[in-house]
Amino acid sequence: MTTTPFAFPPTYNFPPFFTPQPNTTTRHSQLEKWSSLIQSWCRHHRQYRLSLIDAVETPLFHNTALRKRLDLREARAVVDWMSKSEEEGGGGRRAEWISDAGGASSSGALGNGAGMGPKTVAWIWWRRPEEWADVLVDWVEGTGQKGSVLTVYELIHGEGAMSQGEISLFDCG
Amino acid sequence: MLFKSLDLTTALRPLLLPDEILLFVQDAVGLYEGKYKVQNYQNGHAYLTSHRVCYVAAEDPRKYSVAIDLKEIDRVESQAGFLKSSPKITIYPKPQKKTDKSRSATASPSVAQQAVLHPTQSLSHLPQTNLQQSSPSPKPINATWICPICSFSNPVPSNFDPATASAATNLPPCLACGIKPPFTTVLKAAISAVTSRESPLLSSAASPAIAQDTCQPNANASLSPFGSGGTVSCPRCTFVNHPSLTECEICGAPLSAGPSASANRVDSPAPLFEQSHIANTEISESIKLSFRAGGDKTFHERLRGALVQRKWLLRNAPPVPSPSQGASSPGLPSSAASVESPLPSVPRHAGVGIAGLERRGLEARKKNELVIGNAFEDLEALMASAKQIVALAESLARESGMTTNESSPETSAVLSESAAALGMVTTKDMLSSGSESLYLSELARDLAEYLTDDRKGILQREGGIMSLIDLWAVFNRSRNGVELASPSDFQKAAELWEKLKLPVRLRRFKSGLLVVQRYDWSDEKTIEKLQTWMEELRQVPPEDPVPWDWSLFGRAVTAQEAAHRFKWSVGVAAEELEMAEDRGVLCREEGIEGLRFWRNYLSSRGYDDLSRLAI
Repeated sequence: MTTTPFAFPPTYNFPPFFTPQPNTTTRHSQLEKWSSLIQSWCRHHRQYRLSLIDAVETPLFHNTALRKRLDLREARAVVDWMSKSEEEGGGGRRAEWISDAGGASSSGALGNGAGMGPKTVAWIWWRRPEEWADVLVDWVEGTGQKGSVLTVYELIHGEGAMSQGEISLFDCG
Repeated sequence: MLFKSLDLTTALRPLLLPDEILLFVQDAVGLYEGKYKVQNYQNGHAYLTSHRVCYVAAEDPRKYSVAIDLKEIDRVESQAGFLKSSPKITIYPKPQKKTDKSRSATASPSVAQQAVLHPTQSLSHLPQTNLQQSSPSPKPINATWICPICSFSNPVPSNFDPATASAATNLPPCLACGIKPPFTTVLKAAISAVTSRESPLLSSAASPAIAQDTCQPNANASLSPFGSGGTVSCPRCTFVNHPSLTECEICGAPLSAGPSASANRVDSPAPLFEQSHIANTEISESIKLSFRAGGDKTFHERLRGALVQRKWLLRNAPPVPSPSQGASSPGLPSSAASVESPLPSVPRHAGVGIAGLERRGLEARKKNELVIGNAFEDLEALMASAKQIVALAESLARESGMTTNESSPETSAVLSESAAALGMVTTKDMLSSGSESLYLSELARDLAEYLTDDRKGILQREGGIMSLIDLWAVFNRSRNGVELASPSDFQKAAELWEKLKLPVRLRRFKSGLLVVQRYDWSDEKTIEKLQTWMEELRQVPPEDPVPWDWSLFGRAVTAQEAAHRFKWSVGVAAEELEMAEDRGVLCREEGIEGLRFWRNYLSSRGYDDLSRLAI
């Protein structure tokens, strides 16, 4: 949608960023940085689902300047971490694996993902459902439409919604 | 004879004088002054050298270590162990001249000195003198009890008060057989002594303060009354002895009436010697070394050998001329005649040019041949000319080192010279057989000295840290193939460093690599060094353009680079880098180039502007 290139954080150009760190503390902050990078990437591209098999070839996981990349296994580890809640030592449920069957029906992107195991496609919650709810409520209150009935179409393509920008591509799949 | 204070090396061993040789070491040795144990000197190492007998306490060795010179020893007696009594070696000092004795008597903080000073001193000094006297000398009860086992007459301890003592009072064992006496025996002896004392001089034992006052005019008045004719009556059997006797002629009880001010020491009935710090004090009668862990026989044997050899006489002797000085040196009387007369050779050396140089070289070679030939004729000769041989071996090693041109000439120089430089080599030969722990502790001290020796600077050159295996190799090479330390002994010795409070430490890295480092070396220091380095790398632009922001991230370092920079070995460098990674200071980058380390920007928040991008 947007034509402006994605601004990578400086850590993206830090070579050790692409190596799994053995030190637990360092590993944790590394995963945090990856998590926020993936989230901002998806947000920038208005993307809600991330197919890892495709994504590992994109600049997100492949730094061509450094000739460094995060391979599929590592990327899966990152998303795995994101999908766990903070109590489990994860990244606060910022991702959710989509089972193979459900994912394949919704998108052709998984055509080459068959046989790669279930963990290939994930929702990236750059905004969690609860946060979406807050955004909606704020928007409804901000535009003074509390109490009125709105269709989904209105929500997505309505005049006010367009100006909000956030939910213009809201697509529950 | 004086107890001399002792200089210790970094490894807490006696610092040897030039030419002094270590002959024997024994641990678990106690020191006696006369019959009495010296406090704080009851568990230590006895070092016998060619010049001295040194005692170094295990606890607080810098404070409690003394030495006596062999040249002041008159004779040595060995006393075998008996029941619970450990074997002992008694060392008798040479008798001193009368003038010396009186001088030394006044030199000690003694009653006699106070007695002399007292009349001229102002009264304001009185409390002070009283204080000084009351501390070293307790109530002088000159009591002895007879051991029922071996009938040895022992002194009753000074802190034994018949009024308060009970059966629970801790009694010292018999000095001869080591069996504890029955309480009643000691009590009877003490009471009889007190009663016999109180009759001639009531004030003496009653109160210490009064006793001091009466002491001052005449130091010995309270202890033993002089007879009218200068004779001394025995405190035990009342036999009137000649004043020059120190022991009663009849019963053998010690007489306190000697002119020496060490009276309060000799007659102190305490089994413990009064002073706890005995450096620079006079030895009154004899000293004893009690060998609680054996080794007395060898010690005695070697001590006698050293006393016969009198190596200390050689201290000022001219050094043995080294063979490199040329044929003209009159070093070998036997060989000089066979080569050429030294006198005519001197003028020939002057100004003959190349021919002269060649001849000189020829003479030097001949001389070397002779030295080697003589030295190996028999073992005695080898011992006699050991110095020459060592000097020759060194010069040969130096020459060969020059020709082979090794990569690190310093190391080879160290190795070749260390045969002589490693002066204090403890070999198994110096220790009594079977005392493995003593060998290990002495090996540990050897190693510590070897490592901290500034002349060689082994540890400095290795960047302050060195793997144990490297050290083992260098150390054994420096021993030139003699008395090599086995790897297991070596490791055990290294593990003892911490226990012995030596200035080096053994450290085990996570991977199990054992390294040697100074005791003040810490991970924090290493990390500090690494951080400064990383900071430097951020200042210097890299030679080739790099895709990352070098002013922010700096540059990656490998273990090889770290080893090169800090002069570590590569193994040590890798371990140190991983240690820093463990601490979160560095982070790693694995790539086709290998493992490289970066400053940890992943954890540092300061450079993190991802939070700006994150939701």
